[in-house]
Amino acid sequence: MAWEYSEKTKRIFMDAVQGKPGTHLGEIENADGVGQHGSIVCGDALKFTFRVEKNADPLRDVIVEAKYLTFGCTSAIAASEALCALIEGHGLTPIQALKIQNKDIVDFLEGLPQQKIHCSVMGAEALEAAVADWAKKRGVDLAAQGVKLTGETAEDDGRVVCKCFGITEPYLRRKIKELNLRTLDDIVSALKAGGMCGACRYAPGGLQDILNETWGTGEPAPTTVAAEPVAEAGPSPFQLYRKIEKVIDETVRPVLKGDGGDIELVDIKEWKVYCALRGMCAGCMGASRTLQLIVERTLKDQVDERIQVIPV
Amino acid sequence: MSDTPLIFADNNATTPVAPEVVAAMQPFFGPEFFNPSSMYEPALKVAGALKAARQTVAAFLGGVEPSEVLFTSCATESNNAALFGVAAANPKRKHVVTSAVEHPAVLEVCRELQRRGHDVTILPVDRQGRIATADYVRALRPDTLLVTLMHANNETGVVWPVGDWARIAKETDPGIVFHTDATQTAGKLPLDLVGELAHVDLLSFSGHKMHAPKGVGVLYVSRGTPLRPYLLGGHQEAGRRGGTENVPYVVGLARACELAKEHAPDMVRIGKLRDWLEEEILRTVPYVEINGRGVDRMPNTLNMACHFIEGESILYELNGYGICASTGSACSSGSLEPSHVLKAMGVPFTAMHGSVRLSFSAYTTEAEVKRIAEIFPKVVANLRNMSPYWDQKRNCPRENA
Repeated sequence: MAWEYSEKTKRIFMDAVQGKPGTHLGEIENADGVGQHGSIVCGDALKFTFRVEKNADPLRDVIVEAKYLTFGCTSAIAASEALCALIEGHGLTPIQALKIQNKDIVDFLEGLPQQKIHCSVMGAEALEAAVADWAKKRGVDLAAQGVKLTGETAEDDGRVVCKCFGITEPYLRRKIKELNLRTLDDIVSALKAGGMCGACRYAPGGLQDILNETWGTGEPAPTTVAAEPVAEAGPSPFQLYRKIEKVIDETVRPVLKGDGGDIELVDIKEWKVYCALRGMCAGCMGASRTLQLIVERTLKDQVDERIQVIPV
Repeated sequence: MSDTPLIFADNNATTPVAPEVVAAMQPFFGPEFFNPSSMYEPALKVAGALKAARQTVAAFLGGVEPSEVLFTSCATESNNAALFGVAAANPKRKHVVTSAVEHPAVLEVCRELQRRGHDVTILPVDRQGRIATADYVRALRPDTLLVTLMHANNETGVVWPVGDWARIAKETDPGIVFHTDATQTAGKLPLDLVGELAHVDLLSFSGHKMHAPKGVGVLYVSRGTPLRPYLLGGHQEAGRRGGTENVPYVVGLARACELAKEHAPDMVRIGKLRDWLEEEILRTVPYVEINGRGVDRMPNTLNMACHFIEGESILYELNGYGICASTGSACSSGSLEPSHVLKAMGVPFTAMHGSVRLSFSAYTTEAEVKRIAEIFPKVVANLRNMSPYWDQKRNCPRENA
């Protein structure tokens, strides 16, 4: 599928490529802040530089110029351009500029295709790295200013596994261990990876493969051990079946027969009771659903709370 | 024979391509030849056609998400991708449930899974081609990976309640993946994957059984289904099926899906004609059995077993009258083995070799069906006159037959 870019994204890209006045392609010499993100391996990389008007108090430095060099696709270049446009000439201090998120870049571009969201993430990450560089040069302790950096500088050099969120393999491997992520759902909720299009979940070298390589493909550590003694203390399968059959014969069936219906016990597996509802009730979806609930409630009350009735 | 008008009564094998479908495909063999993945403006139009086709198929399946529709080359590919893909994504589960009457595109894949270490339960069917619910429930195990049961049988047209079975599987264990091969029902019965078939995870069908050309199929993959890609390659189909999209055929398939809606009333008409023909043949031909009679069945299919004569010779004679029919599945015609479907149904041996399948389409006319009703008894009578098992004088089987 060809990507569908917004008109604004296309225009910004064309303007930037043709070097129209007001665009920001380039590199500032002796820049006050330099940040890089991505690598050629990832398919896109951004070098972001900015110059500040220096103040006696470094915290009052104001960004006056921003430029970028980008290796990447249409949206990577447009996102870089967007980042510069959002930062330059708005009287922002570097720390204020950090408030710009990838979402702001996406909004500025009037949307990006889902698979291209990582281009905007790249812009935000490069900005963060550049601000960190500025802070180092100007002797500003960002942590003391209440600024927390999230960038994973070293690990961003790696194969991108989740393309939607631009999440790399080394980062995934580290986080899976750190946070003890065992399932795909764990990964999605903790890291977002695999949460958008889902294509990387079962792809070769994808999330499931990384999980398997990390934890092995053997049975997971038994987490249901505790359930067994309980089961032992409960009725034997034979006793359970007898009990269920007795309740159905003595309580449930007479009630159904009174209304022209009937019930047939088809099978029992652990706590699941499969039964066919026949007669007047059969064929009526609403009635059979109600009946299922009545039968289930009766069996839960009289035999065991864990029973589940499955109509067949 | 050349001047005899052709009566095509083998629509479960393939169907004529609808003229509307041909027209819809035409531009993509000409000016709209571009690769839908390309960046330039003209290619965007092709990408747009592909997107629209996916939306049409998604709507055809009851209004599923377009991203849940994967285009493949045929139903066999869809089945292979579904079964192998599920097995590869869930290495911990090793049990597969299928039936004795599946199409070879499912059965052979199940046998291959068996060779690779899976445990396969093959459910039997009764004389009418039905599966006993109790057998099905009993087959589900804690390590069951996959259930694959066809929506309707290609030879007999018997329809199964796969929507119910999928629900039972999911209520038993949400980890079980439910696949159905809907090749015979697509375009003839409604496929409602948000309603009746909501619990089905994977569904296969092909274009050429519903008036699109051969060479295009669909695999519906419900969002979140663990499925490892089978055909690796480019980013097409979101990385789940590599290979440049077969745009003309996909567009043709989508057009066929639209036509299927318009053809819905024809299916009712065809069902009535089929029922009439069935009664007519039972009235005029002795010792004939209707396979799948009296159970839920496709309206277009009539499978008969004629005692004491051979199916191929029936076909040959029908061919002389311009009537195209088949004996069992076309796929099993390469071997001399009688149909595995009829065998599983317990059709008597004397009749199994004399099975004939007539299958109609929305384009079948009343005149054609009447002509078949006229010819068929003659053909059977002729062949029985030659049969050593038939008492020609008394018009019944010989004592020692």
